[in-house]
Amino acid sequence: MEPTVQTNIKKQQKFDSTWTIARKKFMKRKLAMISLGFLLFIIFVSFIAPYVTSDDVTRIDMQNINQEPSSEHWLGTDRNGRDVFTRTLYGGRVSLTIGLTSMFFVTLIGSTVGSIAGYYGGWVDNLLMRFTDFILTLPFMVFVIVLNAILIGMGKVTGMWSLIIVFSLLGWGGVARIVRGKILSEKENEYVLAARSIGCRPSQTIIKHLLPNVMTTIIVQATLLLAAYIVAEAGLSFIGIGVPVEIPSWGNMLMEARQTDVLQNKPWIWVPPAVCITLTILSINFVGEGLKDAFDPKTTK
Amino acid sequence: MSEQVKIEQEQKSNVSAKDNILLEVKNLKKYYPVTAGFFKRKVGDVKAVDDISITLKRGETFGLVGESGCGKSTTGRTILRLTDATDGQILFEGKDITKLKGSSLRKFRRNIQMVFQDPYASLNSKMMVGRIVDEPIRNFTRQTSKELEPEVKALLSKVGLREEDYYKYPHEFSGGQRQRIGIARALALQPKLVIADEPVSALDVSIQSQVLNLLKEMQTEFELTYLFIAHDLSVVKHMSDRIGVMYLGNMVEVGDNNAIYKEPLHPYTKALTSAIPEPDPLKKKERIILEGDVPSPQNPPSGCVFHTRCPAAMPECKKVIPQLKEVRSKHKVACLLYD
Repeated sequence: MEPTVQTNIKKQQKFDSTWTIARKKFMKRKLAMISLGFLLFIIFVSFIAPYVTSDDVTRIDMQNINQEPSSEHWLGTDRNGRDVFTRTLYGGRVSLTIGLTSMFFVTLIGSTVGSIAGYYGGWVDNLLMRFTDFILTLPFMVFVIVLNAILIGMGKVTGMWSLIIVFSLLGWGGVARIVRGKILSEKENEYVLAARSIGCRPSQTIIKHLLPNVMTTIIVQATLLLAAYIVAEAGLSFIGIGVPVEIPSWGNMLMEARQTDVLQNKPWIWVPPAVCITLTILSINFVGEGLKDAFDPKTTK
Repeated sequence: MSEQVKIEQEQKSNVSAKDNILLEVKNLKKYYPVTAGFFKRKVGDVKAVDDISITLKRGETFGLVGESGCGKSTTGRTILRLTDATDGQILFEGKDITKLKGSSLRKFRRNIQMVFQDPYASLNSKMMVGRIVDEPIRNFTRQTSKELEPEVKALLSKVGLREEDYYKYPHEFSGGQRQRIGIARALALQPKLVIADEPVSALDVSIQSQVLNLLKEMQTEFELTYLFIAHDLSVVKHMSDRIGVMYLGNMVEVGDNNAIYKEPLHPYTKALTSAIPEPDPLKKKERIILEGDVPSPQNPPSGCVFHTRCPAAMPECKKVIPQLKEVRSKHKVACLLYD
């Protein structure tokens, strides 16, 4: 009898780590899994665009303008005779690159500022957080337009990168606040004291001990930011102050729909990018929600 | 006070005795400022630790007891330099460590290590046990985890864990096992002094004795000196050679284990020892029950801080602050009854 009881106890003692539990919970969410699949598909297809289509995105073909979808042009052509399908793929490349890169830099800057402020507290915290407040009070749209114009005017960066720089410089305030709050509560744990007592440097304590413990919050925040920046890029490009017209992006392509004729009679020009934006944002948000629930210890399913 | 200084001077004149002293805490004070209003005007202090002196000899276990909130943990953390002392001196092997900063403080940390109270909060749940235990060594040497693996595994089996546990994460262990990991981490640097801050108060009673015995075994094996902080008197009795009793940031009585338990002098210590459960049901014991609550450390009573609850309080207790005096041999008490 004894040995079997022993092994039973041993089996029960096998617990899952936070990440394993989160992965299992996430996998059970159909909507989030489908969204993740769609997202990966969109990203994959956009980034292998040159291998999917052989059309030149920038080539203007005046003999084939405003053509309806056909076997030659799967989604028709726009009013400059460019292939809409090709442009949608390349546009996805630009839109997603802007979204992903901005998300990366915003999260990086925000986490750095937030964790330093939260860890040190006192005047460091005060200084950094007042600076964060200052950044947050800047009217986003106005500054995006102005900074973007200045950066492009300087001529050293292309439209896409200037947008990324502007987004990164203006967007990190929210992340910094959230990370600071999390670090503030997390550093009350004794393991932080323990880290100091075993001779960890402050940077080591933050990077090795605190950040892994607030990573879940950062990841969820980052997904939502990704959606926000794709929308922001589309919005800015739509009103003509985002990515320059010659570079295709989903927002740029939607710009064509500003003409009544295109909007009413030539849906093949603007529907593909619109559908792409909508579905991408939707799936990012579903994935974000899924992650949020998966990391939340209060949800059991 | 003059008596105390005299004793300390005597100890200093005696060279062998001085060599034998590992840690000397002199008149340690830790006040937390209380601020109010928009401009954070200072309106007072919480006197968490108010003028405490402790001397620790090499190899002994000094138990620090007191109610929760009496400043025992703060004392431990201040000695470890996790918080800065407001006033006073901490001498480690004769060297003043009170003002150490930056990298010299970091380098000093390998001498004193701590076993924490909460085995759940004191281990980083995102780190493998092997990394938790080898991290202190990696902080002080250039050795990699791979090089340290045999050493760490040996240490794990010494504290009663298995070598496979090296690859596990904290959540896979029970409270007692986690505390063993915490002990292994504290011992990894082979410190001279270990501060155990209520190391068993979060554990089941059945596990407590195992962990306490482990601490004792490790003391012999690594020639450790312990500052053992606890509120459970029977635990302190089991562990300590000498005991200090704290009340509201003050040390009220210091003496050998036996002296404190057999003939407590201070009324507070008497009340505490009368509360220890007696295993013999036939033995009648008079239980002294203290009235009222512990006063706020922000606004401690005048004179003797204990006079508000003391069954033997005299009118002068409100005015005169009693000093810690050696009443019997090696048995000090701070009470006007023994003046």
